[in-house]
Amino acid sequence: MSTIDASSPLVELREIRKAFGGVKAVDGVSVNLHPGEVVAVLGHNGAGKSTLMKMLAGAYPIDSGDTLIAGEKVHIRTPAEAQALGIETIYQTLALADNLDSVSNLFLGREKMTRWNTLDDHFMEVQARKVFHRLNKNFTNIRIPVRRLSGGQRQVVAISRALYFNARILIMDEPCAALGPEETAMVGGLVKQLKSDGVGIFLITHDMPDVFSLSDRVAVMKNGKLVGTYRTEDVTEDEVLGMIIAGKRPEGKEQAHR
Amino acid sequence: MSNQTPGWWRRAGVDLRLLLMSVLLVAMGIVFNVMSGGVFLSPENLYNVAQQTAVVGIVATVMVLVIVARHIDLSVGSVMGFVGVLIAYLQYTSGWSWPTACLAGLAVALLVSIYQGWLTAMLGVPSFVVTLGGLMSFRGAAFLVADGKTQPVNDEFFQRLGGGYDGGIGTTATWILAAFVAVVLFARMLQKRRARAHHEMPNEPLWLELLLTAVPVAVVFVFAAVMNNYQIASKDAPQGLPIPVLIWAVVAIVLSFIVHRTRFGRYVFAMGGNPDAAALVGIPVKRVTLMLFALLAVLVTVAAIVSIARLNAGTNSLGTGMELYVIAAAVIGGTALAGGSGSIFGSVLGALIMQSLDSGMLLLDVPIGKRMVIIGQVLIVAVVFDVLYRKRFGEN
Repeated sequence: MSTIDASSPLVELREIRKAFGGVKAVDGVSVNLHPGEVVAVLGHNGAGKSTLMKMLAGAYPIDSGDTLIAGEKVHIRTPAEAQALGIETIYQTLALADNLDSVSNLFLGREKMTRWNTLDDHFMEVQARKVFHRLNKNFTNIRIPVRRLSGGQRQVVAISRALYFNARILIMDEPCAALGPEETAMVGGLVKQLKSDGVGIFLITHDMPDVFSLSDRVAVMKNGKLVGTYRTEDVTEDEVLGMIIAGKRPEGKEQAHR
Repeated sequence: MSNQTPGWWRRAGVDLRLLLMSVLLVAMGIVFNVMSGGVFLSPENLYNVAQQTAVVGIVATVMVLVIVARHIDLSVGSVMGFVGVLIAYLQYTSGWSWPTACLAGLAVALLVSIYQGWLTAMLGVPSFVVTLGGLMSFRGAAFLVADGKTQPVNDEFFQRLGGGYDGGIGTTATWILAAFVAVVLFARMLQKRRARAHHEMPNEPLWLELLLTAVPVAVVFVFAAVMNNYQIASKDAPQGLPIPVLIWAVVAIVLSFIVHRTRFGRYVFAMGGNPDAAALVGIPVKRVTLMLFALLAVLVTVAAIVSIARLNAGTNSLGTGMELYVIAAAVIGGTALAGGSGSIFGSVLGALIMQSLDSGMLLLDVPIGKRMVIIGQVLIVAVVFDVLYRKRFGEN
């Protein structure tokens, strides 16, 4: 990560627009993200935050607007292209194939093949054990379908996908929804660790304690538009809620773009 | 809820449900044998059941994958009829050699499948609707090929592909094949143990794995012995393994390989388990769906070839109602209609159970009406069992 100039944003989204039918889901939103920074993306359900993030992750095509990764203009059309740029996503729904085991899910879409172009299951299992162990030492039943795992274990699998493939940009969509306190603490610790490794994180959440304990900046959206971007330390919880609910910018506070 | 540490049978790769199905199959065999006064388990009957099952069994292997991917194909019987008549027509009326006729049949099957797969994958039309239309259309097409006239096939080599009089591979080849399968199974078991040890993963005790490998090997040898015991009265040597069964076995092995060892197989299961997740992690869902339909076309063609070779003719009614048998075989073998789980070996057992039931009742002179009622209800019993089993164990 040292090669990236700390002053240039890791991600720069400019005037991004997306409409579904006649509905403008994302309407001219610009936001950026620096290495080692956590930007909380906030808003009501339907505010457009998930849509914005899905465009960055390649799940939806962008109608108009520019995406710059480390200063270079890119066109992300598929999830695979996003992954190739080091963008990993942990979805709210976890995006796991319930019928497959943890190892298969960790490598899903990026399987390690043997030289005969068959699945290298042994290699994948060994690697998976290592990365799961890093997150949860008690997680050993990695060969059963993930539908039989606990919420925390499933989250470990989802997060491992980002860890193993060395994400430099991580999108976390409600990473702590449906998690117990211990597991929430684990995710919090991980966010801090990744941050110190220079990973840039977009954190979508509804949870105010998470916002204030983890994020450096908040970007609030309402009805597809960006209300404003502020340093987390500059705003209060009431002001953030005011932005989310009423779309009202806090008076006398300066917006922050890094 | 289910326990978190799997039992030894699961760790050793034994599927409880398939074990139950095997027991059911054996029990059915014994009951029918007693009721038919020893006819059911005679080499002659087993030889016939095995080769009759092959056509349904071949298509059922790939139907498992189609259902796992949350699709269905109701048109397999009609497409098989269409392609079968076409291959027979090209040989008999147009005078083509059988290999070119078969390749032409394959090309047509691929076109049909890609058309249906394209509607499903690219436009998102439910495969149920697409193939329900296909069920009717391609039955009509089967009629149009030869204007409803039966097309005999006379090539002797071609006829052997369907089993029948000269359709066995002979005793020596059967024994060699059985021995080969045994060697491969044991070698694979040892190789797997070595690989696990190499990666410092725990192995089950050797005696247990030896035992678990010995069971299928024993089944293979018993089957080989039975096939080698059937001699048609006018011939001077026993039949050995029927060629359709050999084709079916090869198909099942190839498909198992695809399921367990290739990306394509894993993606099919991922798409069935969670279609949204599959797309989000970057699986080319549309391409995989198209490939799946193409694979179906290949195996429907193989089934059509075996089928017309067995009947020595292609008729426009070929494969009528086969879709039910094929889907039933897949479901009885443990394929969930909701998608996401199923096994190729299960479909083999399912096909055998369906066919044994059908021919067992035939042997006992159960009239056609009652047979249809029973087989239809057996399919429902299989689905009910599936639902209850999943509720009980919460998994596949």
